Amino acid sequence: MNGYASAGVAVVLTGVALAVGIYLVAIGDRLLASLVGGGGIGWRTAVVRPAQRATLLLLQQRLTTEPSDAPGWALAPAFFLALAAVALAMVPVARGRAAADPATGFVVFSAAIALVMIAVFLHGWSPDAALPLHGAYRYGAQALSFQIPFLLAMLAAALPAQSLSIVDIVAAQDTVWNVIRTPLGLPLFLIVGASVSSWGPVNLADAADIAGGTSAEDSGVGRLLWQTARYGMLVAVAAMGGALFLGGWWGPLLPGPFWVILKTVVLLLAFLAAGHLLARVRTETFVVVSWAVLIPLALVNIFFTGAFLL
Amino acid sequence: MGLSAALRAFAAGAEAPIFAIAGLGARDAVQDLRLRRELRLVDSPRSASILLVAGVVPEALAEAVARAHDAMPRPRASVRWHLDEAAPGGAESLRASVSASATDDVVAVVRRTFVELINGARDSEPAILPDVDPAPWRGVGPFGQGGSGMTGGRPFGRPMAEMGDDRDGLRLDVLPLTVGPFFTRLPAGLTLELRLAGDLVDEASLFPNPFAGAAVPASRLRPALRPFIRALSEPVPIRELELARARAHLRWLADALVAQQLESLGRRTLALAAHMMPDDLARVQALGRALRRTQVYRWSLADVGRLDGSRLEHLGAGPVARAAGLTEDARTDDPAYRALGFEPVVQSAGDTAARWKQRLLETMQALDLAARAGELRTEPSGRIEGPRGLLTLDSAPSDRLAPLVPALLAGLEWSDALAALISLDLDLEESAAVQPAAERTVA
Amino acid sequence: MNAPSWTTVLFWFFAAGGVITGYRVFRADSMVRAAFFLLASFAATGGLLVLLGAEFLGMVLILMMAGEMLVMAIIMVMYMMNPAGLNPMFMVHQHRTSVIAAVASFLALAVLPFVITLPARANPRPVAATAQLGTELLGDSMLVFQTAGVTLLATIVGTVALTSRRGRYGDAEEGSKEPPLEEEAMESP
Repeated sequence: MNGYASAGVAVVLTGVALAVGIYLVAIGDRLLASLVGGGGIGWRTAVVRPAQRATLLLLQQRLTTEPSDAPGWALAPAFFLALAAVALAMVPVARGRAAADPATGFVVFSAAIALVMIAVFLHGWSPDAALPLHGAYRYGAQALSFQIPFLLAMLAAALPAQSLSIVDIVAAQDTVWNVIRTPLGLPLFLIVGASVSSWGPVNLADAADIAGGTSAEDSGVGRLLWQTARYGMLVAVAAMGGALFLGGWWGPLLPGPFWVILKTVVLLLAFLAAGHLLARVRTETFVVVSWAVLIPLALVNIFFTGAFLL
Repeated sequence: MGLSAALRAFAAGAEAPIFAIAGLGARDAVQDLRLRRELRLVDSPRSASILLVAGVVPEALAEAVARAHDAMPRPRASVRWHLDEAAPGGAESLRASVSASATDDVVAVVRRTFVELINGARDSEPAILPDVDPAPWRGVGPFGQGGSGMTGGRPFGRPMAEMGDDRDGLRLDVLPLTVGPFFTRLPAGLTLELRLAGDLVDEASLFPNPFAGAAVPASRLRPALRPFIRALSEPVPIRELELARARAHLRWLADALVAQQLESLGRRTLALAAHMMPDDLARVQALGRALRRTQVYRWSLADVGRLDGSRLEHLGAGPVARAAGLTEDARTDDPAYRALGFEPVVQSAGDTAARWKQRLLETMQALDLAARAGELRTEPSGRIEGPRGLLTLDSAPSDRLAPLVPALLAGLEWSDALAALISLDLDLEESAAVQPAAERTVA
Repeated sequence: MNAPSWTTVLFWFFAAGGVITGYRVFRADSMVRAAFFLLASFAATGGLLVLLGAEFLGMVLILMMAGEMLVMAIIMVMYMMNPAGLNPMFMVHQHRTSVIAAVASFLALAVLPFVITLPARANPRPVAATAQLGTELLGDSMLVFQTAGVTLLATIVGTVALTSRRGRYGDAEEGSKEPPLEEEAMESP
């Protein structure tokens, strides 16, 4: 409980970090796509194109389907983006400082991740169309499956600090990073992080086989907001992964904020690369592995961490 | 005014989002647009600004084209792309404000239309179809239920959920759903009627081939098909045939990869397919290794949509049959191929992953044959091994595989069902090309 | 920062939000909307708990309810003959009984503020509420409860794993279907 910034600073800081992060993801995704797929594009194009596309979406009509749940459809992307902002605000940016550091930051972050399933379900259910609905129910299966291993993996990270405050959890990594103390935590966290952002191989809700899933009926500003929110969630998860498992602001020589940014960027690159280099996992495989493999692994992980601490 | 115009000019620099409908003869040309950075082929008309209707689209699909058009958000425009100037053909009702001919650079035409559309020089197109509901919201159902109260009757004609058997014995709601004819992951014109129980396909059936019926002159077919159709009746250099086969396999793979969310790798595959030469073997091998590293064989396709060899015997199902352990290959009957020492490649698993691997192996084999073929030509016998299987003067492999689809898809999750269906590589154009003008239909 | 006024504003925001969304649960014409209004009502209650200084309870309420409400929506949709929960339906049945039950439970709860004695002094602000709560609820039995929890979880997963494999017509992995009455499955329609 040492790092409450003033409310105005916290809001501005989180907003700017989120916006910059989202734009960097958009640029990085394009560069990686041309790296993997060929047909190279220049830096200039990669930097300008996301803004051009966003402007185009702003100019486009926002269509709705006739019997849609209009408030739900409009609300879902905004809700998702707000959850990304809340999750990002919990990440410590420098020694002992976070935009928000409640004593239960750990639970706030987990609640934000859990509420994503409401945002995604609402987004897919509202348009009253087959493919979005399919994505929504599929995300329901996915999210309910990863929830328990996710919380167990997070718990193992909180164990060494004996605190639910994220700042305390990072502070407790001054000698050994959690990635060593809870070796399975980071992989579990990354799987879940990609899932909540509907990203890469675990993008089942907005999947290619259902023509974009929950966002198949989106157009105009609704589509822009939803994609922005997905990117934003990815940024928030990457930043939190750096804090929980890679020691946050700890690092030699350079100042804390630099290390926080570096670790976030490294995890973001891992996410982006996975998006272009790994195939989509089958829903059934994901669900079965979550319940039958990841939960036991997460428990083993907690025991390992406990043994390490003793 | 100043700001708005500046924003519009800025937005016009974005990739033009197009929803492309590939009619007869246009499948490869439309696919090649994926390589162009100035455009973006999108999955749903909802996110498109331009509707590109390419090739010959029969009257039977005209209404679906109109519905795709009306699903686009404003500002919108449509571009008609005629690939065969001599005989445009197709539905008369398909009007478009812009058209491009085979000699035009279609990308330039689309770009120009898009820029005009965004900066306001061109008006957005009005809807083609009248905006009416198929049935009233809160309609009254067959049992007198509805209008108000508990279930609301038949909103928009949507039926009450029906009970159907699920695979684990629970009786669950079954949702009827028609996928196609322009579902982005399937060839245009392929329509699938489904009854879904949750994520599971309870029943599936294919609609008749909309391209069938009319006699299709070879000049209207896409260039990739022409060597095989020609080889039915005249000698064709083996080098040409095998290169066409390798390209066809890689073009199929480029689309199949997108369905597995490997769009970038798909673009790489497509670039390779478009300019394939026999000395590209090393690049195909590298692609195969990259594919293996994506884990697509392990967590996406393994054990999905298994087809037993016994169900494929004597169907002439080409790579699909050979992936299930059958050695059927019409090339073994051709003296020219025998002179090259041709032996079919065979796998045993018979699942979707095996069909993917089989096509990659056959691509490499085809490149090898093309490199060694020299001036050898085929012996025309009225039957030829096409990229999808045995092609004869009156029957294509897709016609023989289509009846297997309902049994193959039933009980699979939708993503698996789609992967299995894609792995069959049904080709409506090929089947329309060899079909006598009789009333035979696919499925 | 002007702390008291902010707290007051937030209190009224959450209090009003909780009541309005709670009312909307019964006026919604769809199972999914009703479930989500209920979630919003719970989230507002969670906000009130946070304002009361019970941060952990408030946030855990929101965390747990997100999953619960989705499960509730999905299970309701599963049991109703309403394709994917898209058709409109009434969420209130047995009007008279439900009105009586609602009034009775409201009265029972409304009595509480008058009969309990509230502590006279405010809590000192930074309290280790989470740790105190855990000790208060579980005490020395912490390890026993945790072990039991993990055992229960393993039991649930194991039970589902054991029972879900075989369906009425064969193994689930094989996508088993009811056998047709005649051998016609392979024919084209």
